[in-house]
Amino acid sequence: MAVKVKVGLIGALDMLKFKNMAKVREMAIQAAPANEITADFVINNNAKALHPDFQELVVDKVIDHAGAGAKTYLMRSKDGGPLAYFRAGQYLSLKLAIDGSKITRPYSISSAPKDALKGVVSVTVRSNPGGFAAEHMLKEFKEGDEILSSGPQGNFYYEPLRDPEHIVALAGGSGITPFLAMAQAIADGTEDFDLTILVGSRTREQILFGEELDALAAGCEKIHVVHVLSDEEADGFEHGFITADLIRKYAKEPYSVFVCGPEAMYRFVKVELDKLGLPRKNIRCEMLGVTKKIAEAEGFPAEAKGKVFDITVRQGSEEYKIKASSEEPVLVAVERAGITAPSRCRSGECGWCRSKVLEGTYFAPAENENRRYADIKWNYIHPCATFPTSDMVIEVPAEYTPK
Amino acid sequence: MNKHYDICVVGAGNAGLSAALHCAVEGKKVLLIEQHNLPGGCATSFRRGRFEFEPSLHELCDIGSAEDPAEIRQMMMDYGVEVEWKEVPDCFRIISKYTDGTPMDVSMPFGCENFIDKMEYYVPGSRPKMEEYFELLNETMAGTAYISASNGKADSSVLKEKYPNLLRTGAYPVSKVWKAMGLPQKCCDIMSTYWGYLGVDMDRMAFIHYCNMFMKYVSRAAYIPAHTSHEISNAMVERLRELGGDIWYNCRAEEFLFDGDQLCGVRTSCGEISCDYVLANINPDIIYGKMMPKELIPEREKKLSAARGKNYSARMYTVYVGLNKTAEELGIKDYCIFFADTSDSVQEYKNILGGYDSNNFTIFLCNNIVNPDCSPAGTSMGFFTSMGNREEWSDLSQEDYVAYKNKYAKKFIKTLKDRAGIDIEPYIEEICVASPWTFARYLGVPEGAVYGYETAEWDAMMARMMMLGTDYPIKGLRPIGAAGPRGDGYSSAYVCGRLMARLALKDLKEEGR
Repeated sequence: MAVKVKVGLIGALDMLKFKNMAKVREMAIQAAPANEITADFVINNNAKALHPDFQELVVDKVIDHAGAGAKTYLMRSKDGGPLAYFRAGQYLSLKLAIDGSKITRPYSISSAPKDALKGVVSVTVRSNPGGFAAEHMLKEFKEGDEILSSGPQGNFYYEPLRDPEHIVALAGGSGITPFLAMAQAIADGTEDFDLTILVGSRTREQILFGEELDALAAGCEKIHVVHVLSDEEADGFEHGFITADLIRKYAKEPYSVFVCGPEAMYRFVKVELDKLGLPRKNIRCEMLGVTKKIAEAEGFPAEAKGKVFDITVRQGSEEYKIKASSEEPVLVAVERAGITAPSRCRSGECGWCRSKVLEGTYFAPAENENRRYADIKWNYIHPCATFPTSDMVIEVPAEYTPK
Repeated sequence: MNKHYDICVVGAGNAGLSAALHCAVEGKKVLLIEQHNLPGGCATSFRRGRFEFEPSLHELCDIGSAEDPAEIRQMMMDYGVEVEWKEVPDCFRIISKYTDGTPMDVSMPFGCENFIDKMEYYVPGSRPKMEEYFELLNETMAGTAYISASNGKADSSVLKEKYPNLLRTGAYPVSKVWKAMGLPQKCCDIMSTYWGYLGVDMDRMAFIHYCNMFMKYVSRAAYIPAHTSHEISNAMVERLRELGGDIWYNCRAEEFLFDGDQLCGVRTSCGEISCDYVLANINPDIIYGKMMPKELIPEREKKLSAARGKNYSARMYTVYVGLNKTAEELGIKDYCIFFADTSDSVQEYKNILGGYDSNNFTIFLCNNIVNPDCSPAGTSMGFFTSMGNREEWSDLSQEDYVAYKNKYAKKFIKTLKDRAGIDIEPYIEEICVASPWTFARYLGVPEGAVYGYETAEWDAMMARMMMLGTDYPIKGLRPIGAAGPRGDGYSSAYVCGRLMARLALKDLKEEGR
């Protein structure tokens, strides 16, 4: 080649420099002290504190909301240290052992983010007919009981980079809890947005956290609470259901709607929200569960209805044979068999339960479809939102638990 | 009791996936364990609402066309891994300032001829010097390929005869070589753009390293997978399974087990694994610092760690945006725009390390420009990348964390608006900010520094490659990944994984196992 490049004055010395790279490196290494190597990193410790594998909690106090059929569990960290900070609206996935099943349940945190740093966090459990975990907890949980939870999870929170300053919250039943956390966060200055909560209850007696919400609203001009009673008419209360008209009445443009409540409420509210014609970015729903009536879902194969299938579950080098109903998520069958499986949101969203299907067919409802493109392509499922429609062989990952 | 494996690969990042596949292709019984519930490390994806985000990949070099595959495409073919690749249209657009302070807004194309032509357009009269420079680049590329193929046993007479310019320039920093060649400063300014991809400024980056990366992009173009990096990682896992390999997710390696000074297994969160060899996609400071007996760590390894002084490379910061307008509606035309205050990489690196007040460096990518269907109809998506310093992300409380990372996000969204006239703020449907904390969380890398150790000065890539046989002399255990000899980068990690797997198989063969 024609070009001749040299950087120093003498090309031969440049060449020697190239050849000597290893020698120079070895000299730099040998000149250093042979200190013990440590692996303690501040940023990693910060990340671990914010996103722990799990949190060990102790029930400190139980508050009975008798009228609403619910109880609030105030919990503290077992070691007395701080708990992971969170964004108001996030949930904890509690890990429970009931009758040999190792299950999880997601509960929105109802306490303020600041309390977590003091080692305190609370969740509220409401009775629901046939609710396996809720009924057990309401009956059995008492002061001093130890509970294992995940770190704070979920994306249901106010995001100033994305959301308008005004949020209209639609809450039903225990769905008030994330908004209670948000209201506290606004009141104590952690968050800065304008929150109008439309709370749906049957009667005044059944209102959950009514006094707490009213007190927060009275003490902070950015918090507004509107009670909507379906089965009772009373002064100072809206009557009926949470409709498009009602939302329009209290909303200040521009606004986003946040929804959290039982399945029946979602079905109703969805129709009302369509009437408002809001862009998709202005509607956020917290699901925390899948439909209890999967056989009625669009696309569910009729021939699978009421069937029980055999599922072979592989986890590490273990293998289990279990039975599974076509009308329950695969995850439920796995948990019932006493297998510790990862799960968090239980609505198909977070993907923590991501598992590989080696054989068999399944139904994954469209409203819970949050799998990655390449996961669908290579037959990975989110077992919490997947229903077996044949015998299956699946591979389920392990879950982190305390030693 | 878990069964015995020939090889246990710890960490399913790019290097781990590549290493596991190489061993499996060679007929070994392989177990790949991964602490997260997904493969890929950085090479993954995540969902928010109706968007599936690419977390890290800007563009992959070394793919080449289907007809003329480059190293990584060829490697995937060798492994039997199929990925749908999409070609990136241009090198980059950069909006910055030349070192003389005049404004710079240039877009450079792929292809050596095109690149030289466009440079002549921006810097009239630069053609003869640029042509000369590309001759040097070509020689350096060819010489590096020769050295790599020789596995550390390059014949110096061959090097002297065929690659004399490489020998004369390779060990110098990029800026010195440019100066020696008398390249117009504006050309150097434009060609500095990729420095952030390696996280080392032009005064400390070895010419041979930068040249290779630069040429891999310019001469062979760049590609991204059609369905995020998760497609690559999942395809690699699928192939590993076909070859009889196992993969366990949510499984964390805790300690390496030894019989005397010979590795014999791994204690993990899923129990003990017995194996003959471990390829660990883990930073060596973590391996030595808390995963093996102190008495087995040689003096020189302690010195190596001390010499590096925990001076890890770049700490990444990213903002992912899902937008409810199309790229066209938003006026986004470029796949990749670099924003900087100056093209002087030394000064710009200082600005970045100065923290929030001085850091205006960001790269904005819009995935839809390469891949229009990557987000739902009527939408588009993209992400900002920047870097940060250690202190700002260390001295931050949990309470202040969100506000701090959002402050940066706001700044970069504004940069895009002010400097490129692209206003995305009203159209943000989903947004997610990842900081060094996030990378520390998901990758386990020290201080969230994804690039391993700086490939600078005495610890540059070529020097590390020359000492492959000396570093990390633990019997039955080799670290792989970004902290390895090849340094950081998607393709480097794939190549490193295969290289170290080859060395491991050679070790096993020599030991008669």
